[in-house]
Amino acid sequence: MTAAASLTLAGVHGFVWLRRRQQMASLMFCIMAAATAGMAGCELWTMQQTDMVAYTHALQWYNVMRWLVTLALVGFIHFYLGSGRPWLEWTVCGLRTLSLLVNFLVSPMVYYTSIEELVRIKFLGTEVTVVEGIPSPFSIIGQISLLVLAGYLVDATWRSAKGQHRPGAIRVGLSAVFFVLALSLQMMFALWGFIEMPIVASLFFAGILIVMGIELSEDMLRSAKLAEALKIREQELLSERKLTDAIFESAPGMLYLQSADGSMVRWNSQHERVTGYSNDETSRMKAEDFCAEVERNTLTEARSMALAQGGHEVEFDLTRRDGRTARHFFRMVPVEVAGEPHLVGIGIDVSSQRALAAETERQREQMAHIARVASVSELSSSLAHEINQPLAIILSNAQAAQRLMAHEHPDLNELREILDDIVSADIRAADVIKRLRSILRQGKPALETVSPHALFDQALSMAQPDLKSGSIQVSRRHSKKLPLIQADRIPIEQVLLNLIKNACEAMEDNGAREKTLSLTCVNEGGWLRFSVRDNGHGLGEDGDKIFEAFHTTKPKGLGLGLTICQTIIRAHGGNLWSERNKSHGATFHFQLPIVPENL
Amino acid sequence: MKHSETVFLVDDEPALLKALGRLLKAEGFAVQAFDSAMKFLSAPHNNGAGCILLDQSMPEMSGMELQQRLIQEDSALAVIFITGNGDIPMSVRAIKAGAVDFLTKPVKDKELLAVIKTALEKSRAMLTERAEISEWKQRHAELSAREKEVLFHVVKGLPNKQIAANLGVVEQTIKVHRGRVMAKMGVESLAQLVLVAERLQLK
Repeated sequence: MTAAASLTLAGVHGFVWLRRRQQMASLMFCIMAAATAGMAGCELWTMQQTDMVAYTHALQWYNVMRWLVTLALVGFIHFYLGSGRPWLEWTVCGLRTLSLLVNFLVSPMVYYTSIEELVRIKFLGTEVTVVEGIPSPFSIIGQISLLVLAGYLVDATWRSAKGQHRPGAIRVGLSAVFFVLALSLQMMFALWGFIEMPIVASLFFAGILIVMGIELSEDMLRSAKLAEALKIREQELLSERKLTDAIFESAPGMLYLQSADGSMVRWNSQHERVTGYSNDETSRMKAEDFCAEVERNTLTEARSMALAQGGHEVEFDLTRRDGRTARHFFRMVPVEVAGEPHLVGIGIDVSSQRALAAETERQREQMAHIARVASVSELSSSLAHEINQPLAIILSNAQAAQRLMAHEHPDLNELREILDDIVSADIRAADVIKRLRSILRQGKPALETVSPHALFDQALSMAQPDLKSGSIQVSRRHSKKLPLIQADRIPIEQVLLNLIKNACEAMEDNGAREKTLSLTCVNEGGWLRFSVRDNGHGLGEDGDKIFEAFHTTKPKGLGLGLTICQTIIRAHGGNLWSERNKSHGATFHFQLPIVPENL
Repeated sequence: MKHSETVFLVDDEPALLKALGRLLKAEGFAVQAFDSAMKFLSAPHNNGAGCILLDQSMPEMSGMELQQRLIQEDSALAVIFITGNGDIPMSVRAIKAGAVDFLTKPVKDKELLAVIKTALEKSRAMLTERAEISEWKQRHAELSAREKEVLFHVVKGLPNKQIAANLGVVEQTIKVHRGRVMAKMGVESLAQLVLVAERLQLK
């Protein structure tokens, strides 16, 4: 029965070993099981012998099997636990071999110096043969080898338990220790005649075999489960890979994975299509190779920023294989692949957006111009009236004068008056033309470097007649050292002149209050702020409307002056605004940019 | 050269009023200048021949509005527009409403004087016509009821026989009535009579 069970186990594990040659534990187990079966056979053989010689012969074969079982057990522990001390292994094997040699060469009786008689006893309900004799002193070698084996097993199990946490291995070791010790005891008692029973070592080894078999099977089950799990995991990985592939392909732009040094690792077909480089070429390229030369530093910086800061964005001209470029926006995120830092990034063609933005900007400027022209054409009818009026006055006066001159005694006083009227009408026409010209001035002002002092000087000299006739006190309160500004000189002078003239008109009804005009200029860092302050009648209730076209408080005004001034200052990037003074009058401020070198 | 007719100037620009005034006075016109339409309307202006030189764009009342007022008043003044920024629709409206011309500033003296001459002629013609019409109206009013009936049928172009049949009298009676109508209306031919009837809108 033991033999049959052992043979079955031997067959199973022999098969396992045949399929997986590296499983040496299975081979050892197979040998041990086969040898155990042989041992059980030999035991049965001895038990049935009644002849001394035949018994001795059977016992010798039994010992061969014992030797084989012991070696296989050591081998199994060596491969299965992997923690045995080699010198102990060699000792066990050596002692066992020695015991076998002694058995064959010196003491054929093996355990006994001499066998006195063969006794038939009843054992487990069957009649079996046991011997009675004087135990051989050499049998001590076998006993020692069993004890060393037990020691070896304890040591290997202990070390295995300390090293790895394999409860199965520990179970195997402990059960082997238990059965080996039990066997030693049984052997000793039987040999020295304390108990009367046949040698049944195979039963103990079969015990070890069963425990080992269970553990090996569990190991196999476990590995089968692991294999299953591995397979599932593999499939998961495969579908994961398919998913990332799909994600790569579904990206609206280029999607790529680069190593930290910029080598291309993975990319989508969009990448190939956009750059024009084949997959083979791309695999030999670096990130910077796709970037226009002038922007390479930007890209390198962005890449190191992305690696250091957990992501970065950059925009540059992507250079295609055919040399054409397209503006692309890139977003890069660091990712660790196989323990190495990488960058995964997406690139989107923004050239059309950029072109659109530029086009929008161009259209906006055009629209602004059209709007200006449209408002000018609206204005033009009233401006035409304004301009034709003085022209009509001049023409009619001149022609009246011609007719008067044709008279015999022309009225010279009348002629003088006519000439005066012609002059003032002419001035009026020139004024209107000047205003018209500044409205029609298109686009950006022609900037030049201008001294703010010169602007004040020129504006004041032009306003001199008004200042004089109105007896207005002018105070210039500003530093003598003002930075140069960037401005279109003539329109700015017109703005200043306009503000000064407005101030003069606002102070017409000052009465006893002395008319004071103060001009200030303050450096505001990057900008100079010009201010024109009067102490006249102030802005009135609808002060907010003063910058609207055609809003006027003057009986003869067109309501365009401040609108035009505002336009001129805004074209310079500055602003024009008004302020009510705490006491009397108003202050008008505007800003102009300082020449960069003068900052 | 002296002119009996007055030229009225209405413009909100005093300097231009002065200049035009000088020019027209030098040409011997009687000139009355106003710097607003309201001032012109409130000043006494006779219904004699004359013309008015009118600025289109003026505050309060525009030139076009003043023209309408003059039409309502049945004025005989011929209207000339003078404007700084006239456009075509505006000029068409002005001319349709009876303006002599629509001038754009600045206006050359010869052109202006020619237009004023035309305007004054028109004004005079208008006055003459008005005088004639009021005389014909007077004569027509003096006709008897039967004579008015006969006149009505005559200008419709009916022969005497037909008129007699319509009115239930003999043809000879119609001939007598017809002769009397011609004499009373002061016309010498049938064509003249038809023309007068048309002027008086008797049809």
